[in-house]
Amino acid sequence: MEQKKTFVEDIERTLYDIRNEDHSVYKTERGLTEDIIRDISRQKQDPGWMLDFRLKSLEQYHQIPLPVWGPDISELNMDEIVTYVRPGGKMAENWQEVPEEIKDTFDRLGIPKAEQTSLAGVGAQYDSEVVYHRVQKELSDRGVIYTDFETAVREYEDIVKEYFMKLVPPKDHKFTALHGAVWSGGSFVYVPEGVHVEIPLQSYFRLNAAGAGQFEHTLIICEKNSSLHFIEGCSAPRYNVTNLHAGCVELYVKEGARLRYSTIENWSRNMMNLNTKRALVEKDGLIEWVSGSFGSHISCLYPASILHGENARCEFTGVTFASKGQNLDTGATVVMMAPHTSANINTRTISKSGGAATYRSAVKVTKAARGAKCMVNCESLMLDEESRSDTLPVMDIETDDVEIGHEAKVGRISDEAIFYLTSRGIDEEEAQAMIVRGFVEPIAKSLPLEYAVEMNNLINLELVGSMG
Amino acid sequence: MAEKLLEISNLHAGAADREIIKGVSLTVHKGEVHVILGPNGSGKSTLMNVIMGHPGYKVTEGSIFFDGRDISALKTFERAREGIFLSFQTPEEIPGITVENMLRTAKQAVTGKFQRIFAFRKELKAMMEELKIDPSYSERDLNVGFSGGEKKRNEILQLLMLNPKLALLDETDSGLDVDAVQIVSAGIRKFHNENNACLIITHNTRILEKLQVDRVHVLMQGRIVEEGGPELIDRISRNGFGQLAVP
Amino acid sequence: MAQEIFSALPMRTWRWLGVNEALLPKELRQPEALAEGPEQASGGSRGEITKAEDAACTKKLNTACRTIHVPAGETMEAVVVYRKEQLTEIQADVAEGGTLNLVCVQMVPADSAYAGSVTVTAGRNAKICYTAVEAGSSHTVTKLQIDLAGEGSIADVSAVYFGDKERRIDMNYVISQIGKHTDANMQVRGALQDASDKIFRGTLDFRRGSKGSTGREREEVILLDEGVRNRSVPLMMSGEDEVTGHHAVSAGRMNPDRLFYLMSRGMDEKEAQKLLVQAMFSPVLDRIPDAGLREEVAGSIEERITDGRS
Repeated sequence: MEQKKTFVEDIERTLYDIRNEDHSVYKTERGLTEDIIRDISRQKQDPGWMLDFRLKSLEQYHQIPLPVWGPDISELNMDEIVTYVRPGGKMAENWQEVPEEIKDTFDRLGIPKAEQTSLAGVGAQYDSEVVYHRVQKELSDRGVIYTDFETAVREYEDIVKEYFMKLVPPKDHKFTALHGAVWSGGSFVYVPEGVHVEIPLQSYFRLNAAGAGQFEHTLIICEKNSSLHFIEGCSAPRYNVTNLHAGCVELYVKEGARLRYSTIENWSRNMMNLNTKRALVEKDGLIEWVSGSFGSHISCLYPASILHGENARCEFTGVTFASKGQNLDTGATVVMMAPHTSANINTRTISKSGGAATYRSAVKVTKAARGAKCMVNCESLMLDEESRSDTLPVMDIETDDVEIGHEAKVGRISDEAIFYLTSRGIDEEEAQAMIVRGFVEPIAKSLPLEYAVEMNNLINLELVGSMG
Repeated sequence: MAEKLLEISNLHAGAADREIIKGVSLTVHKGEVHVILGPNGSGKSTLMNVIMGHPGYKVTEGSIFFDGRDISALKTFERAREGIFLSFQTPEEIPGITVENMLRTAKQAVTGKFQRIFAFRKELKAMMEELKIDPSYSERDLNVGFSGGEKKRNEILQLLMLNPKLALLDETDSGLDVDAVQIVSAGIRKFHNENNACLIITHNTRILEKLQVDRVHVLMQGRIVEEGGPELIDRISRNGFGQLAVP
Repeated sequence: MAQEIFSALPMRTWRWLGVNEALLPKELRQPEALAEGPEQASGGSRGEITKAEDAACTKKLNTACRTIHVPAGETMEAVVVYRKEQLTEIQADVAEGGTLNLVCVQMVPADSAYAGSVTVTAGRNAKICYTAVEAGSSHTVTKLQIDLAGEGSIADVSAVYFGDKERRIDMNYVISQIGKHTDANMQVRGALQDASDKIFRGTLDFRRGSKGSTGREREEVILLDEGVRNRSVPLMMSGEDEVTGHHAVSAGRMNPDRLFYLMSRGMDEKEAQKLLVQAMFSPVLDRIPDAGLREEVAGSIEERITDGRS
C-alpha cells in the first residue's frame, strides 16, 4: 500500500504549496469561482435560497480536502470541471464527435440509431418525449409527480426545499460539496401515500440539455405505503466530454413504502464516477438497490441505506466488472438505527486485463437497533494475473442483540470447469462467458429482463478475445 | 470389419515433467465396447483426459486418430464437436448455469444447428423422463448440490442428448452406489449401436454385466500389459492385477 | 504523532469507522517507554519462556530482544506469557522446512495497558503455528505480521480474546502470502461483555506471484451484553488470480437453541453461557501445550464471564 501513502503526501503538497502554479488543485480552487456559480444559478433561474445554497456549498467545497482512502484520484483534472460548469463550456453535441469505440459498443449492444443519437444530445429526444408524456399523464392523474429537477425547483419549491440535500448534505465530502454548488438536471419523483407505480420509471426518458448528466440530482420521495421502481438513466452507455461525474441521489422511503432503485452504469472509460447515493428508510419500509458498475475509469460508489424506522429493510444487489484501465471501488453502506431492521448485501465483482475491483462496505449497527440482522455475501472472480481484487468490509456493532454475518470469496475460474464445458463442445470463450454469466446470475435475476440482457451483452463484449 | 473410430499409436503423455502414459496403442472400431482395467494410479483417467484434450496434459510422442483424422492438435471443444464425449468421474459443479442452458448450448455447438428453445426442451424432458430424472433438475444449476447418483444421471443425460460417436466413460470411482451403477449401465445400453463405440474404465464389473464387451485392455504404470476378450475381466476380478507383469 | 500510530489497516477506508489505525495506548506513549524498551517500561519483568521442545534450540531463543530463529528442518516451541510487560515484541524467522509453534498468552493486570507486536517470516515449506490469548490489560493493542515468503509455507493462526468491563482490545493481524502454494488459516474467536470495545482486523494479502495459494479467515464473536461495541474488519487483498481466498465473520448473541438445550438440563443462563464460551474457546486454548497454564487462562476467563454482572 505504498501507493496510498504517497498519495496522501501528494494531496498535502497540492493543498498547501500554493506558490506552485502547476498544481491542478490550486487552479481549481481559483477556477471554480463565485461568479461561475452565480452564472449557473442565473441560467437556471434558481430561487434566491438555491443560489445561497450553491454559494455555501462552494465555500465548503474549497474547505474540504480530497478523501485519503480509496482509488487514487489525483489525476482528476479539475480544470475540466471548471470548463463544464462555466456556461458555454464545450460539450459533444453531435453524434459525430463521439469516439468510435463508444459508437461501436452501442452498435454491438443493438441500441437503435435513434436512441444512440439521443445519448449525445437532444437529437432524438422527440421520440422519447412522446413516451414520457404518455407515462406522465397516467401518473399525474394519480398524483405522482415526475419531472426534471429544474422544473421541480420552480413548481414544487416547498417539497424540494424540505428535502434537497438534507440526506446528503454538501459538507459530507468534497464531491457532495461540489455537487451542491454546481448541480444541474436530474429527476424529481414524488409518489403520494398509498400509490403503487406499477411500471418502472426510467430517467432515460428525460434527457435534458446536453451534458446535464454530470452533476444531476435525483430526489425521490415515496410516501407511506407507496411503491416505485426507478431505473437510473444509465441504461445505455453515455458519453461525456468532461471526466467527472458527481451526481447525487436522495431517496426517502416512508413508512411501509417500497422503492427499488436500479442502475446499470456503463460510463465511458475516461470518467471518474464519484456518485453519492443515499436512502432514508422509515418503519416497515424497504429499499432495494440493484447496482451494476461496468464503465468509467474510476468509480467510488457505495449506496447508503439508513434504516431509520423499526423493521426497515435494505436489499442490496451489486455487480462490478473492472477491465483494463479501470479501478472500480464499489460496495454499500448500511446504518441500522432502529429495532429489528435488516439488510442483505449480495455482490459479485469481476476483474480482468489489469482492472482493479474493490468491494468496500460499512455496516453500522447502533445501540437502538436491537434485533438487527445483516447478511453480507461478496464473491470476487479474477480472470487473469494482472488484475486486482480487494475486499474491505467493516462491521461496527454497538449492541448485543444482533445477527451479523459476512462472507467473502476470491478466486478464479477453475481450469476444470472450463475443461468440463469444452468437453461438451462449447468453445473456450463461450465456456468462460457462461461461467462468468453464471457467476453474476444471482444479480441478473433481480434485474428487469432488458437490463439482464444488457448486462449479459456487456459481459460478452468484455470477454471477447480474452481467452488465449 | 467395421471402420476404425479411435486409433491411438504409441502414445506418450504426462503432466508437468512426469510421464504418465508411456507408449499406449489402442484401436476401437465402430460398434465396439472396450473396457480398460487397471489398478489405481495406472494412468486410466489420464488416458481419458488426454483423448479429450485436457490442457493440463501434454502429448510428447505418438498420435491419436479419430474417425480417420489426427486430432492431436485439436482443442477440447473441437474434439467434442468431432464426436467424442467424456463422462466425468467427478463432474464439475458450476453455479449459475442451468442444466438445460448448458445442454442446449452444447447441443448447438456439436450439431452446428440452432436449437429452438421449446423443441429442445421437449426433447430434454422426454429424455429425463426416460432416465427417471426429476424434470425440475433441468432448471437447477449444473451439478450444484447434486448427489453422486444425480451427477452420474446428469452425465448420462448429456451423453444421450449429445449423441457422440465415441463415449469415454470414466467410472474409476469404485464407490458408486447400486443406483448409479444401474444408471450408467442402462445409459450405455441405450446409447450404444453399430455406428458408435464406448471406452469404459471401471472397477465395477456390474456395470458391464449386461453389456457385450468386445475387448479388454489392462493398463499398468502407463502401459498396456495385457489384452483380450471379456474373459479377461473375470480373470482379473478373481486374481487381481498382481499376476500381470509390468514389461 | 507518527509514534502514536501503532499499526495500520493495510488499505484505508472511511475515517468515521475509526479502524484505519490503532494508536498506542496513552500510558505507553511516554518517550521513556519507547526508548528504553519493554523491560524498563514494565518494571523489569520478562516474559516467561516456559518450554522449548528441543533443548538444543533453547539457547537460540533470545529472551531479551525476543528474536526467534528456527533453523532449517527444525521444530521449536515457544510459550510466552506476559504478566507485567506492557510493550513486547517478537521477531521470528523460520528457515526452510522448519516449524515454529509460538504461543503468546497475555494476562497483564486489568489496570495496565498493553501493546504487543509479532513479526514472523516463513521460508520455503516452513510452518508457523501461532496461538494468541488476549485475556488481560485494560487496553490491548496487538499486531501480527506473517510473511509467507517461501514456496509452500504455512501459517496457522488461532486467537481468542475476551473483553469485559471497560476493556478495549484492538488487534491487527496480517498474513502476506508471497510465495507460491502458501496456505494461511486465521481463526479468531472472542466474547465481549459489559461495556468492552474491540476491533479485530484480519487481512489475507495474496501478492502477485503467490500462485496456488489458499487462505481462510474466520472470526466469530459472541456478544454478551448490550453495552459492548464490536468492530470486525476482514480484509482480503488479491493481486493474483490463481488463489482461493475465503473469509467470514459472524457476530451476535449466543445461539438461543443451544442455551435452551443446556438450560433444559438444569443450568441457569449464566452457567449455560459460561459453558458455551468455554466450548468456543477450548479449541484455541487446547493449543497451549502447558496444562497448568491452559487451566489458569481458562479459569481466569471463566471467572470473569459472570463477574460484575447482575
